[in-house]
Amino acid sequence: MRVLLVALMALLVAWPWLAPRYFVFLASLILVNAVVAIGLNLLSGYTNQLSFGHAGFLAIGAYTAALLTIHAPAVPVPLTLVGAGVLTAAVGLAFGVPCLRLSGLYLAMATLAFGFVITEAILGLEGLTRGADGLRVPVARLGAWPLATDTARYYLVAAVTVLLVAAALNLARTRTGRALLAIRESEIAAEASGVPVARYKSIAFGVSAFYTGVAGGLFAFVVGFLSPDAFDVFLSVDFVVMIIVGGLGSVPGSIVGAAVVTVLHDSLAAFQNYRPLIFGVILVACMLFMPGGITSAARALARR
Amino acid sequence: MTSAALIHVVVSGLATGCIYALMALSLVIIYNATRTLNFAQGEMLMISTFVAWSVQRAFGLPLIVTLLVAIVAAAALAFVVERLVVRRAIGATHWDVLIITLGFSLALQAGAGLLWTHDQFPFPSFFSNRPVALGPVRIAPASLGIIGASLAIMLALAALFRWTRLGRAMRAVAQNQRAARLMGISVERVYSLAWVLAAVVGAIAGVLVAPVVFLSSKMGLVVINGFTAAVLGGFGSMPGAVLGGMLLGVLENLAPLYLPTSIRYSVPFIVLIGILLVRPAGLLGRVERRKV
Repeated sequence: MRVLLVALMALLVAWPWLAPRYFVFLASLILVNAVVAIGLNLLSGYTNQLSFGHAGFLAIGAYTAALLTIHAPAVPVPLTLVGAGVLTAAVGLAFGVPCLRLSGLYLAMATLAFGFVITEAILGLEGLTRGADGLRVPVARLGAWPLATDTARYYLVAAVTVLLVAAALNLARTRTGRALLAIRESEIAAEASGVPVARYKSIAFGVSAFYTGVAGGLFAFVVGFLSPDAFDVFLSVDFVVMIIVGGLGSVPGSIVGAAVVTVLHDSLAAFQNYRPLIFGVILVACMLFMPGGITSAARALARR
Repeated sequence: MTSAALIHVVVSGLATGCIYALMALSLVIIYNATRTLNFAQGEMLMISTFVAWSVQRAFGLPLIVTLLVAIVAAAALAFVVERLVVRRAIGATHWDVLIITLGFSLALQAGAGLLWTHDQFPFPSFFSNRPVALGPVRIAPASLGIIGASLAIMLALAALFRWTRLGRAMRAVAQNQRAARLMGISVERVYSLAWVLAAVVGAIAGVLVAPVVFLSSKMGLVVINGFTAAVLGGFGSMPGAVLGGMLLGVLENLAPLYLPTSIRYSVPFIVLIGILLVRPAGLLGRVERRKV
C-alpha cells in the first residue's frame, strides 16, 4: 500500500516531464474534478445527502477566485483559494442548514434549483461577472512568480489536491469523521447514540462546499475563462456520475471516478451529442451491475 | 393594469398550471406506489410526443389518433423501463432509483436529439390560438381547452383511485406495502401499472402542451416544474399536486408583471426553495413520521 502511494506521488510529480502539454492540462482538470468529487462524496457518500447543485458551488468558488485576482492582484494564490473556499462554504452553510429539514429526494431537487439560481445570478450580476460574455481570469501569482504555464498551474493544482486528499483521508479518523460514518450507517442509530446529526450534517455541507469552492478557484486558473454556461446542470450531473462510478463514500473512488469521467469527456469531445447518452447509460449500468462503484468492484475482484 | 388583462394573464397561468399539475400527478402516482421519484418523467413525455408527431406526419392521421399513439407509446416505454430496469433494482433505495431514472433522462434526451435533432417543431393543436372576446376579457381557446381537458383527466383519475379495484389496490400499496401483499395484492403489478398510468397522464399533458411551447428535446425540463408543483401542494397528495400546479402556473405568469421579466424562469426554483424552507410538508401534505 505504501509502495503504491509513493509510486503515485512520484508519477504526480514527474507527470509534466512524461506527458505532452495537453495531457498536463487534462491532468490538472482531473485533479480539480477529483477535489469536487471528494467534496461531493463527503456529503453524499457519508451523510446520504445527494446534491445536484455542485456546479453552482464550483461557480461561486471560480468567480470568487477570478474576481479576487482581478481586483486584488497582490493577494497570493493560496489566500485566493482559501477565500474562494471560505466564501463557498459560507454560501453552502446558508443554503445547507435550512435544507437539513429535507431528506433524500427533496434535497436533491432543492440543490438542483440552487444550481439554476446560481447560473441565473451570474447572468444577472453583469456588472460583476460580465454575464454571458464570460470573464477572462488573469494569471495567478505566487509572490513574484506568475503561474503562466500549464506546468506551473499543474503543480499548483497537484499541491492543493494532495493537501485536500490527505485531509479527507484523515477526516475518517477524527471525531467528526466517525460521526459522519455513523450517520452513513444509520441516521437513527447515530442519533440514538448521541451524535448530533443535524450539526454534523451541516458540517458536512460546509466542508463539501469548501472543497468545491477551492476546486472552483483552481478551475478558474486552469481554464482561464469563466462563463455561466460552463456551470450548467450537466456539470452537476457529471459530479454525481463521478462518485457513483468511483464508489460512494470512498476517497480513492472519488479520484478514480473523476479520472474516468474527465477522460471520457475529453475523448468524446468530438461526439458532443452522444455524450449525455453514454453517460446516462453508464449511470444506469453502474447502478444495476456495480452498485458500489469501481472501488468496491476492484475490492471484490482482489478478494477472489 | 386593467382587470380584464389581469384575468387574461391568470387564465393563461391556469392553463400552464394544469400542465404542471398533470406532470406533478404523474410523479405522485409513481411516488405513492413505489416511494421513488421518476426523474425521467419529463423525458418520457417528450419521447411519446415526438413519436406521436412522427407518426402523425408520416401518415397524416387526425389529431385524436395522434393522441392515442402518444398514449400507447408512453405506456409501452414506461412498461419496458419499469419491467427491465427499475424492477431489477427493487431492493434498491429511493436514491438508487433516482439515479437510474436520472441516467434515463440523460440518455432519452440525447437520444431524442440524435433522432429528431434539438430543433423546435410546431405541433398541431386541438384548439385555436386566436383569442375570443368574452365580454371585455380576451381569452385564448387554447387556454380554456387545456384547462378543460386537464380537469377531465383529473376527475377521471380521482374516480379511478376512488372506485376501481385497481385504484383501491394502488392506495393500499401506498399505505402499507406489506399489508397490501398479505391482502393478495400483487405489489409488482401495482408498480407496473403505476408507471404506465403516470406515463399516460404525462403523454396527454405532452400533446396538450406541445402546441404551446413547441415540440423539442428540451421539453422534458417541465418535470422540474411538475416536481415543484407537487412539493408546493404537499408531495404525495393528489389534490395537493393539482393545487400546487395551478398556483405555480399563475405565479409564473404574474411574476414578470411586477418583477423584472427575467425572473420568470427562476420562479419555480424560488418557489421550491421557499416552500421547502417555510413549510416542507407543502400546502396539503402531512409530515410523514417514520417508525423505527
